[in-house]
Amino acid sequence: MKRIWRATVVAVAAMAMAACTNTTTSGSGTADEDIKIGTLLDVTSWDPAQADIGFDGPYLSALYDPLISLDKDSKPVPGLAKEWKYSADFLTLTMDLRTGVEFSDGQAFDADAAVQNLEHLKAGVRSGSTYDNVTDIKKVDADTIALHLKKKDDALLYYMGIGRSWMASPAAIKADTLANQPVGSGPYTYEKGKSTPGSDYVFAKKSGHWDDKTYPFSTVHIQPIADPTASFNAMLSGQLDIAYANAADIPRAKDNGWNVASDVATWVGLQYTDRTGKQLKPLGDVRVRRAISHAFDGAAMLKSVGQNAGVATNQVFPAGRPVYDETLNSRYAFDLDKAKKLMAEAGYPDGFKVTMPMSSIFQPWQPSVQQTLGKIGIKVTWKNLSPADYQKNAATFPMFVAVLALDSNPAASVDGRITSQQWFNPNPSTDDFPKVKELVGKIEAATGDAQVPLIQQLNKEITEQAWQDVWYQANNTYFSVKGITVTPITGMMFPTLRFVQRG
Amino acid sequence: MIRFTIRRLLSGLVLLLVVTSATFFLAHLAIGDPTAGLLGNNATPVQRAALHEKLGLDRPIITQYWDWFSHAIRGDFGTSWRNFQPVSDQIALRVPVTLSVVLAATLLAAVLGLVVGVATGLRPGGLLARVLKVASVVLFALPGFWVSLVLVMTFAVRLKWFPAVGYVPFGQSPSAWLSSITLPSVALALAAIVMIAEQLSNGFLEVNKQDFVRTLKARGLSSRRVTLHVLRNASPAALTVLAVMFVGLLGGAIVVEIIFNLPGIGSLTQSASQIGDIPILLGLTAVTVVFVVLINFLLDLVLGWINPKVREI
Repeated sequence: MKRIWRATVVAVAAMAMAACTNTTTSGSGTADEDIKIGTLLDVTSWDPAQADIGFDGPYLSALYDPLISLDKDSKPVPGLAKEWKYSADFLTLTMDLRTGVEFSDGQAFDADAAVQNLEHLKAGVRSGSTYDNVTDIKKVDADTIALHLKKKDDALLYYMGIGRSWMASPAAIKADTLANQPVGSGPYTYEKGKSTPGSDYVFAKKSGHWDDKTYPFSTVHIQPIADPTASFNAMLSGQLDIAYANAADIPRAKDNGWNVASDVATWVGLQYTDRTGKQLKPLGDVRVRRAISHAFDGAAMLKSVGQNAGVATNQVFPAGRPVYDETLNSRYAFDLDKAKKLMAEAGYPDGFKVTMPMSSIFQPWQPSVQQTLGKIGIKVTWKNLSPADYQKNAATFPMFVAVLALDSNPAASVDGRITSQQWFNPNPSTDDFPKVKELVGKIEAATGDAQVPLIQQLNKEITEQAWQDVWYQANNTYFSVKGITVTPITGMMFPTLRFVQRG
Repeated sequence: MIRFTIRRLLSGLVLLLVVTSATFFLAHLAIGDPTAGLLGNNATPVQRAALHEKLGLDRPIITQYWDWFSHAIRGDFGTSWRNFQPVSDQIALRVPVTLSVVLAATLLAAVLGLVVGVATGLRPGGLLARVLKVASVVLFALPGFWVSLVLVMTFAVRLKWFPAVGYVPFGQSPSAWLSSITLPSVALALAAIVMIAEQLSNGFLEVNKQDFVRTLKARGLSSRRVTLHVLRNASPAALTVLAVMFVGLLGGAIVVEIIFNLPGIGSLTQSASQIGDIPILLGLTAVTVVFVVLINFLLDLVLGWINPKVREI
């Protein structure tokens, strides 16, 4: 009996020793061919039709090739579609496809596969909205397809490039097995045996991929880590080469000699759903909306709540991009006296009452909102909702606190923020705002670069109309060890693998 | 003993039924329409309606409940609303992670709690007893996440003996598995060790005062045999604490799973709650209740074995 005990103790000690020495201690991505990426969320689904754009990018980009990619300036660039062309009326988009590409199950990528994939994406609950304007997808010949549209869609190529044109094996789509067994033609294959779902997904590089040079790492680990402290500790211990980061850790990251990459990702402020005063009369008066804009000190909010990671602005077009207009930022300089004066001019010197939704996600801003609106007499009653219910119900209130994703493409910004129906924008009609309506019409009639000056005018007009009360645009931040760089892409909450490079 | 066993099992089944049913209705009431959380920002009302139909949410709540219940009793908990994968598959992936950590923590707590408890029980005024008193105050005052972070900073970041985050399945590499669960298990076990040791130590003091101990000593039994008798009489309270701790650790694992980024049932509960994935929440509730029932059942059996009077209760 004693012998058994002794043997057990020795075995456990040996295992413990082995466990201690097995810990990864390398931290430099340049030293080996592996790369370990820490992102915020687990993959939503391996089926591109059920996946999210936001945080699913790195996972899906390992396994699938897109028809269209984006470059670092968010310009559509060739993927499996080598080139594309719109018809003169912009109602037919013809794509010339790459030949000689195979999915990992041996199926060929061709026009039939592309049509089947696009139909699958159009029918998908999460991917479908990208293809709302597409009425028909047809094979023209073995390596050409045509998308027929019911109306001109300036954002289509951008949305396809940002994560809505991943091509999967036609056999897997037909068998409805993609969610469990992803089969793509992408640069890596999924190493199911070496992966731990929910903790560490391992991908091995394929040989002879058509875009081989874009993917320098032989093995990619993607680890979803929801807690920023855990993520930072994983970087410190050498378990990660890249981390989706908390801006508060930037000084410590710099002390460690890591690369820090940031770019704006969301706008933070008050979204109005009632600009005509149907639900809450005062909001129909532009002077009231302007008063609210003057009352909030965006820069102070960015500093106190946003950890100073972002840009204080009152625009919904991303900072640093062509439509963004620096001069507009002074339009609603923080000025309480002016705000009170505007409220009085509008006939509300004593303010008014408003009920707004609240959930745990938005609580960091709640005290500031309550206090600031209170200073101009607007008394807020909060209705608490669960985070899951917030998105569904927030827009039933006349205004609510919002953190909404930005798009780097100007046409997509107009579509996503102003003209299309979204959960935060249930009534996209511009009928009561003739100048906005006129500009939207002009933008829709124009094409390409000619749209930019018109969208700049629209940006100016909606700022004048205090279309929403933007306090600031918040950054997404990524840390990477020396020798590895990440290029943030506004529109992707975590960039796809083509934006993770040596350097 | 058979009647006792059947009675305990039946009450366990009733508990399982009541808790899962209550969770079903409460979750539907609290979460409301989950399509917003599930479809994300860009979904249209048409897509929401389509998802409602796909998930069967357009049916009366009683029909939905009967559908869920009739499948659940056959072991089919439906599919996740987030990724449309079978709930049982996802829980099956997560349970080993949480169980690894919780069982290791329980084992650590039981072994070290027993050693420290007996040692301090034998020498009530000794150094170890005083250390235990201080440790119990300190460990209860410190938040669990702080203790976990200190462990990470010391043994993962500074010394690099263990990984800071992640889990490796036993089948993939036993040594890496042990390495990945060591720090989380220690973090969970620390307070439990002290609690069990205190319970056992107090039990020792109480039992030591009783007449039968004096009689045993008077009959000339060796101190080792007397200690074993005392231990057997002092252990029920510590065993109850251990069982309660196990159940508590299952719940408490969520903090440790987040700090160590372990894909266990705690972190799954958190993510399912955030997006309103009711089938996952129901599956997790059922699994947790089964564990609670099972542990209590085992505890009753052990206590019944130690003390036959318990069986009559």
